[in-house]
Amino acid sequence: MKQVLEGNSAVAEAVRLARVQVISAYPITPQSHIVEVLSDYCASGKMDARYLRVESEHSCLAALVGAACGGVRTFTATSSAGLAYMHEMLHWTAGSRLPIVMAEVNRALGAPWNIWSDQTDSLSQRDTGWIQLYCEDGQEVFDTTLQAFRLAEWVNLPVMVVTEGFLISHTYEPVDIPEQEEVDRFLPPYNPAFKVDTKNPFTVNSIAPPSIYMEIRHDNAMAMDEVPERFDDVEKEFEVLFNRRYGAVEAINCDDAEIILVTSGTITSTARLLLEDLRDRGEKVGLLKMKMFRPFPVEQVCRALKSAMKVAVIDRNFSSGAGGIFLQEVRAALCNREDRPLVFGYIVGLGGRDVTKAVLEDIYKMTKNSDVPSDKSVWIGLREVKHAIGR
Amino acid sequence: MRLDADEREFMCSGHAACPGCGAVIALRIFTKAMGENTILVIPASCTGVIVGVYPQSVMRIPVVHAPMPAGASVASGLRAALDMRGDTDTTVVAWAGDGGTFDIGFQALSGAVERNEDFIYVCYDNEAYMNTGIQRSSSTPYGAWTTTTPGQDWKRLRKKNIVEALVAHRIPYVATANIAFPEDLVRKVKKAKSIKGSKFLHIFASCPPGWRIPSEISVKTARMAVQANIFPLYEVEDGVRYTINYKGKQRPVQDYFEVQGRFSHLTAEDFEQIQKMVEEDWGLLQRKAGYQAADACIQSSSAQRAIKTNKVF
Amino acid sequence: MNVAMGQKPFVAITYETTESNKTGSWRFLKPLYQDKQSPCSAGCPAGEDIGMIEMLARQGLFKEAWETILRENPLPGVCGRVCFHPCESVCNRKDFDSPIAVHALERFLADAAVGAALTTKWERLPQKNQRIAVIGAGPAGLSMAWFLSMLGYPCDIFEALPEAGGILRWGIPEYRLPLAVLQSEIARIEQLGVRMRTNNAVVSETFDELRRSYSAVFLGCGHAHGAPLGIAGETPESVKDGLDFLRRARQGERPLCDGFSVVIGGGNTAVDVARTITRFGGNAAILYRRRREDMPAFGDEIAMALEEGVELEELVAPSAIEYHNGRLRLLLRKMKIKGQDKDGRGRIVFDGKKTVKKVIDHVFAATGATAAEPWYSPPLAQRGVMGFSHCVLLLEAGGAPVIYGGDLTNEAKNVAQAIASGKQAAMVLDTYFERGIDEIKSRLEACVVGDGPALSMEAYLGGPRGGRSSHLVQYGEINTDYFQNETRVTQPRLAVEDRSCSFNEIELPITAESALREAGRCFNCGLCDECDNCYVFCPDAAVIRSGNMENRHINYDYCKGCGVCAVECPRYALIMGGEGL
Repeated sequence: MKQVLEGNSAVAEAVRLARVQVISAYPITPQSHIVEVLSDYCASGKMDARYLRVESEHSCLAALVGAACGGVRTFTATSSAGLAYMHEMLHWTAGSRLPIVMAEVNRALGAPWNIWSDQTDSLSQRDTGWIQLYCEDGQEVFDTTLQAFRLAEWVNLPVMVVTEGFLISHTYEPVDIPEQEEVDRFLPPYNPAFKVDTKNPFTVNSIAPPSIYMEIRHDNAMAMDEVPERFDDVEKEFEVLFNRRYGAVEAINCDDAEIILVTSGTITSTARLLLEDLRDRGEKVGLLKMKMFRPFPVEQVCRALKSAMKVAVIDRNFSSGAGGIFLQEVRAALCNREDRPLVFGYIVGLGGRDVTKAVLEDIYKMTKNSDVPSDKSVWIGLREVKHAIGR
Repeated sequence: MRLDADEREFMCSGHAACPGCGAVIALRIFTKAMGENTILVIPASCTGVIVGVYPQSVMRIPVVHAPMPAGASVASGLRAALDMRGDTDTTVVAWAGDGGTFDIGFQALSGAVERNEDFIYVCYDNEAYMNTGIQRSSSTPYGAWTTTTPGQDWKRLRKKNIVEALVAHRIPYVATANIAFPEDLVRKVKKAKSIKGSKFLHIFASCPPGWRIPSEISVKTARMAVQANIFPLYEVEDGVRYTINYKGKQRPVQDYFEVQGRFSHLTAEDFEQIQKMVEEDWGLLQRKAGYQAADACIQSSSAQRAIKTNKVF
Repeated sequence: MNVAMGQKPFVAITYETTESNKTGSWRFLKPLYQDKQSPCSAGCPAGEDIGMIEMLARQGLFKEAWETILRENPLPGVCGRVCFHPCESVCNRKDFDSPIAVHALERFLADAAVGAALTTKWERLPQKNQRIAVIGAGPAGLSMAWFLSMLGYPCDIFEALPEAGGILRWGIPEYRLPLAVLQSEIARIEQLGVRMRTNNAVVSETFDELRRSYSAVFLGCGHAHGAPLGIAGETPESVKDGLDFLRRARQGERPLCDGFSVVIGGGNTAVDVARTITRFGGNAAILYRRRREDMPAFGDEIAMALEEGVELEELVAPSAIEYHNGRLRLLLRKMKIKGQDKDGRGRIVFDGKKTVKKVIDHVFAATGATAAEPWYSPPLAQRGVMGFSHCVLLLEAGGAPVIYGGDLTNEAKNVAQAIASGKQAAMVLDTYFERGIDEIKSRLEACVVGDGPALSMEAYLGGPRGGRSSHLVQYGEINTDYFQNETRVTQPRLAVEDRSCSFNEIELPITAESALREAGRCFNCGLCDECDNCYVFCPDAAVIRSGNMENRHINYDYCKGCGVCAVECPRYALIMGGEGL
């Protein structure tokens, strides 16, 4: 049934329908609405779950690690500084192969304080071993959250479902919410790979000496490597039931495109409009939407970009000293391919600055008119500013 | 002494603890008192190492290792999972060192006990970061040498009173215990196990290498801390009802300090000062437990009440 | 490791224990269970296993405790009353609060056994062919017979007087040692098959006869002959023998002692004579050439005597006696202390020419005793004569071996030493018969309790006690953290008015409850009582205790040698030794 829901509520609905058993969260804008709704569901009995009102994000994820070791389905949501504070536990979760699902609402990291959309918070956790899936709108957020449990529990890796502060989190959109029975058909009860139990005592995560640490990490890598394939399987099942699928990447008009824009999150929606306009004007342009960032879907990306002359990677994120993070990944994916396109990189919309169709069109033009991409990302739309120190 | 505890061992031999390790004595007695329906959550600590290197485990009960700040929070989550599984027989125990309790784990602990999570949190206290090589923690006592309070820069600050901090949370049960008093320890463990909500046990556990004592006096030294009132044995119920448990042989603090290399730089004046500090703390505790001064306190408050209500006679 | 194939994730989840790590290899000192000697046992001339006795008593195992006494001492009822309990003066607990009331406990156990008519089946060695004659049924002879019986030797005791007991029967007043107590002890000895031939004085001729008809003869007829004072005017009538006085009193006579009597001497006999006189209605004073604190008599006995009206005059020595108006006049010289004797007592010298005269009715000498016959005395060292601490063995052609014991050979003459003598003599004789003369010394040495000279029959018979270290536990070796200050039991007594007119026993029994508590005070120095401290505190779970004490052991595969068990052993029954041990 279609409902008009805030993006955060769409996440909460998916968590409810996934029959999550332990939720733990710490408030942070713009994520808070998710857990407000969930605490309401727990309080009212709409969900049969324990809700742990922890005192910090570190404890939040630690509590879920404990709960997941106990063999139950778990969920949390956070943003920005909260995610950064979880950092140690992010590694710990993946190393423990616990299928925890987290909604991560992109928000810029301080300093200075900023509460608006920016992907640097989630992307800077790229090496923690979490699967990262970026969403574009409320429906995708709902669907991806459900898929995340299925995927996480299949490969025994945690999943971060990434949405965007305000642009998704606080935006009301029609979202198709299925019935519980339908969801139950898609998502069976959690059957953990291991659970801590006094009847079968063992120690989890004891010291692994050099003689075995590498093998444990390698097993983790193998599982991660299978994720694109397994995600595809999950999506197929999902599509059968719900008639929707997204793909690890979505390639639009890429087959004959000379220039392909690479986007993620809500910028994709704006880019879709631009794409229509440009195609109407006869431009040979394509669009590649990156949904999956970890693992990086190298094969899908290369396949989508293989016909292009130029690729423009648009990043609402920034790794200081290296530029856009998607840019780095796309270049790295292509570097060993023959006939690889030129890859241009652009930084836009940090800290929630609007990324309009005009901004994207400028980027398209710049790319079209340039024959040599800069090594670094090009910053778009910077203003002349004054600042206090040294004035 | 015969302990009212499980005959079975829940800790195997063959562990890597230093000879005479107080933490292991504590853990062994503790687990025997707890029995098999126990899960340990162990944040980074000596015990984290002692319980075994993959693929071996010292423990015959389940253990979940946790990052150093996360003992109380992992335990909270585990408890929640067991509750959801309908497992009410199992007791979740967070077993942390003083660093993982007084310092880096304090936030998670405070949060968890404020939520009155149903677990036993044990801090085995050896008064410094021993596993990393004897660095000072907020549990390190006044007067102690550590590798980060070396030479004449020995710690000139009091040890954090973690018990009172926990008491301030008004949780159902807070108790101190000591490896030299196993019967008292067993009794407190069983009591803690029988109470719902957050229980905090502060177990004093000597560290021969860190305290610079020969391994054989490990227990004896821990005992002297009680005899000198440096580490009083007491329990507090619901944050208000204090009971002092030890009323035996008394010693001057110097007896305790003199056997330990970590205090070897202290002078007679230092001992005098420490004796005063200890007596001050002891007096405070006794008053809380309702001895002497407390009676006066009650009298004066009833007198005040009488004055307020004008019922002087 | 294919996820799609349903492979489990590789998580650091353990599947083994640490038991394959033999941490015993870290060790450089090794804990060893090692029972040791308690000072009380070493201080007891009979070598009683006091620490073990009190341990058993504390556990309520009164019968076992009693049997443990009997293994070393056949006369617990007697010793629990009249022994001077040197065990208590060396008790380690004296440095903590006060010594264990060993004598009160011994008496309690003995009385409890008699009260409950306990009997016990002794594991005795197989019967031997040698038959032994024991001359004198005093404590030495009775002990000799008891221990010889244990060792398998048939014994006959020859006693001149109509009843057995010697000094116990004839020299100690009944208010200290009731007849029934002695009789039950003697009966127990007789139950072993010892034949008691009373009214059977052995004279020189019959002695030679015994040497022909028995395989060995034990001569233990004591020093029953009071020594004269050796002063001017002394006659058997003017200065009477104190021992004779006591003997007659115990035979039921009422020897003459009306008026005012003085008793010369400072030992228990002197005190007993004086107290007996007061019980017969006379007045008595004890005259002693040294001071009260120098008197060999038990302090308590002196104190009670004074309470009962006996006077004590110190630093006077008799020098002459004469009749004076139908009474006696005793000339005494005043003494004074000047310097110190070897034994620590004040050295006495005449106090110038100061004298005192006393007119009294009777004088009793109680300054020592000697053997009644010169041939009782052991031969001087010569070929065929072997001297030991408590007996002398004579081997000569033409007669069975003779072994002299009791007062005849003992430096200190008291019940406990007499028992020690009987025990030693039995061991000497048995070793002589079984292994030959050359083995005697080494065999005895192997049975020494602590630093000696007390001997253990249990050790001699190969019992567990023989496995103990000879180390004598010192107070500093006790972990007193495990003991609380507790008041020593006080033995109740008859009130002075009730006792001074009767021969009823003065010391009253303690209750079983008091006995349990008092036994509980014992440190059990050097003895494992399975308190479990080693087990409780072992960080390496390397103390294995399955079932009984014999099975308690250290698992050296894992023991790291930290030494906590040794320090936390309350009783010093565990030591840390080199790996070579």
